[in-house]
Amino acid sequence: MSNGGFFLMGSIEAMRPVFLIVMGVFMLIFAWRLARNSDAWTSRLMMAGALMLAFGYALMLPLYEAGILERYAPGRMTYEGSAAAAMGWHAIKLVVMNAGWLVFGIGLAMHAKLLSPAPVANPRREARARNAHEFIA
Amino acid sequence: MNSSLETLIQNGLLLDAFGVVGLGLIGLAAVRLARRNQSWGGTMMACGAIALLIARLYVILSPHFINDDVLHRIGPVGISVTYGLPPILLTLGLAGVVWGLWGHERWLKENR
Repeated sequence: MSNGGFFLMGSIEAMRPVFLIVMGVFMLIFAWRLARNSDAWTSRLMMAGALMLAFGYALMLPLYEAGILERYAPGRMTYEGSAAAAMGWHAIKLVVMNAGWLVFGIGLAMHAKLLSPAPVANPRREARARNAHEFIA
Repeated sequence: MNSSLETLIQNGLLLDAFGVVGLGLIGLAAVRLARRNQSWGGTMMACGAIALLIARLYVILSPHFINDDVLHRIGPVGISVTYGLPPILLTLGLAGVVWGLWGHERWLKENR
C-alpha cells in the first residue's frame, strides 16, 4: 500500500466507518454474552435491540458514509438514484436506530432489575436475626 | 405515499422520542448496575449513555433554535464547537456504551 493510502486510512473520516463496524459487531457479541445467562424475555429484548443497532451501526451507517445509500433531506428534490429508495432507507434508519436503542434499553433495564424494587435489606429482620443468634450463642 | 407514514418520517417525533427514552433507560440501568455491583463497566456505560443522550438531544433540538442570529452571537469558536462536538460525543458515547458492556460482562464472568 502506498504511503498516501495509509495516511488516508489513518485520518478520522476514513476511520469512522471502520469504527462503526467494529462497535456494532462488538455490541452484538457482548449483548449475546450477557443475554446467554439472562431470563427469556430479558435476553430476547436485549438481542433484538442489539441486532437492530448492529444492523444500523455496522451496515447502514458505513453504507451512508460510503455514499452507496443517499442521504434523505425533507426539502431535497433531486436525487442521483431514486427518491423513493432514499426515503425508504431513511425510514429504515430511523426505525432501526431509535427502536433499537429503546428495545436494547428496556432489555438492559430488565437485566439490571431497574423495574423491580431494590433489594434493600430489612433492618428489623436483620436485627431480629442477630438477636436470635446472640441468644443461641 | 401514505400521509401518516410521511408525517412519521418527516417530523420523526415519535421515533426520536423512542431513541431518547431508550438511551435514558440505558443510562439508568447502567447507574443501577454500577451501584449494585460496583462494576466499573456500569460507570463507563452510564458515561457513554449520557454523552450519546446529550448529542442526540442536540441533534434533535438544534434545528429549532439554531439560526443565523444565534450563530452570529456565539462567534466562530462556538460555530466550530456546534459542528465538531456532536460527532465527537456520538463517537465517544458509542465507544463508552460498548466498552462498559464489555467491562460489565467480564465482571459478571469473574464473579460468577
